[in-house]
Amino acid sequence: MRLLLWWGGRALSSAVTLLGISVLIFAALRLMPGGFAETILGPFATPEQKAALAARYGLDQSVLAQYGHWLAAVGTGDLGTSMISRQPVAAELAARLPVTARLTLLAVAAAVLAGVPLGVVTAVRARPGGGGGAGRLLSGLGVSVPEFALGSLVVFVVSRYGLQTTGYLLPAAVLSIFAISATARTTRDAVLGVLVEQHITAAVARGETPWFIVRHHVLRNAAGPVLTLTATVTAYLLGGALIVEYLFNLPGIGSYVVQAVGRRDYAVVQAGVLLAAAVFIVMNVLVDLLVGLVDPRLGRRA
Amino acid sequence: MKMLRSGRARAEIRGGARARGLDPLSLAGLACLLLLVLLALGSLVDAAGDPDAIVGPRLRPPGPGWWLGTDNLGRSVLPRVMEGVGTTLLLSSAAVLVTAALSAGFGVLAGYRGGYLNELIMRVVEVLYSFPAIVLAVLVAAVAGPGQLAALAGIVLVTIPLMTRLVRAAAVAVAGRDYVTAAVISGARLPRVLGRHVLPNVAGTIAVQGTYALSVGISVEGGLSFLGFGVQPPQASLGVLIRQGGTYMMAAPWLIIGPGAVLVLAILSINVFGDGLRDRFEPRETRSLV
Repeated sequence: MRLLLWWGGRALSSAVTLLGISVLIFAALRLMPGGFAETILGPFATPEQKAALAARYGLDQSVLAQYGHWLAAVGTGDLGTSMISRQPVAAELAARLPVTARLTLLAVAAAVLAGVPLGVVTAVRARPGGGGGAGRLLSGLGVSVPEFALGSLVVFVVSRYGLQTTGYLLPAAVLSIFAISATARTTRDAVLGVLVEQHITAAVARGETPWFIVRHHVLRNAAGPVLTLTATVTAYLLGGALIVEYLFNLPGIGSYVVQAVGRRDYAVVQAGVLLAAAVFIVMNVLVDLLVGLVDPRLGRRA
Repeated sequence: MKMLRSGRARAEIRGGARARGLDPLSLAGLACLLLLVLLALGSLVDAAGDPDAIVGPRLRPPGPGWWLGTDNLGRSVLPRVMEGVGTTLLLSSAAVLVTAALSAGFGVLAGYRGGYLNELIMRVVEVLYSFPAIVLAVLVAAVAGPGQLAALAGIVLVTIPLMTRLVRAAAVAVAGRDYVTAAVISGARLPRVLGRHVLPNVAGTIAVQGTYALSVGISVEGGLSFLGFGVQPPQASLGVLIRQGGTYMMAAPWLIIGPGAVLVLAILSINVFGDGLRDRFEPRETRSLV
């Protein structure tokens, strides 16, 4: 019963957060200088033309009424219509989802498959001179290279030497450098935290080998922070890896939404941001569930 | 079999036994950072020449007279990089100061007072935290109009949620300590309790997170300016330089290599320094297998 209440509270607070985001995004769009009418009709439009256009999209109503209509529509699953392409926003987003999903999947898979082992090794060898320092510097470098710098470099090298630029491997590689390094750093921290616990001392005293200890006594205990980070990275990438999409000309969700900001295509920006935030929130709830399953101590504390 | 060795007994730090210092790697990071600041200061007196002056032919590779090459207008890249580092560091530091001040205020208040105020502050933080970061920055830039102010506001909004959360967590821990209770019992008012007893004890968290926020800020400024929403040319920032260099990348790769390397160096040295600060302020016992 208490658990049920707790989950109820969690759902309620998520809903409040989403509501806050909807207000923020709506307000931000209406505060932007230069309206949608100027973008679409150009600088020489007559006031009558502008008024007609505004009336067609309900932009002549009060801001509060507009917000109400939008929220009611979203509640029924209607994300609105793009004012530029006149297509339903939901369909347009769905068309771009596969690109974003593929990039995300590749980058997150790389992060887990490479980042976790790297983190474990650097933690286990954390003693000075054990090679952990090199790993620390390397992963530090990995989180320090911004996407746009690394991406520009990759695009340069690839086109200089006439390599294949299409496909998802390279953009995913650019994204995964950060993801791998961040995962490695978090894993290292988590493993270091577990290594000082008493049950590890006991295991060492029993004469168990290091890798046996890691497999049986460390990994599961260190899973919490790593899972949380993975969820955050996944949600962040699903929201659209804007800069990489821009650099590699990929029609993903990130570039779509930012393009829409430039064109003042209100419905698209609103839907895109709301969706990305919803994914972020849902991912966080899911990962809390998962962490509770993997490490029941943490689940109970939450 | 010697499988288990205690790493330099870090646990002692808590007792203040270990000298209060940073490890060599973080000191190297700090030195690097100071070097970059020096470089930026040098641009104030045109130490490497006027960043806007045309010194030679267009798109020349590095050589005497233009040590990092020349750009598409024949300007020397080196003074432009120096100006760019200055702009980027100044903008990010200013933004992080704003973030630190706001986070310290709201975090300490929320953590110490709790109740509705805590709920309200944390809700707002949650909203910002769930907002896709770069889209948030782009939106701010669109509302404020592209420019330095937009970059500054973007950095603040992107860095503030995490810092406020962590400061609040630290303040919650401090609020339960005996010395805080003692201060309250002896009649100290809220501002005094917060200012004299809570804030100094979360200062470490603020310093560490501020360092990380600085590296995030540099990255956000770069990204925004790279996309054309941040600092506007002819003013140079590292993001602006990389954006401009991208156009001539094939003919003149040095246009992005110089600024790119400086950008990575700046972020890396700040991160490494931050790691050292964290070990110093939030010491933990460590031990290594193998």
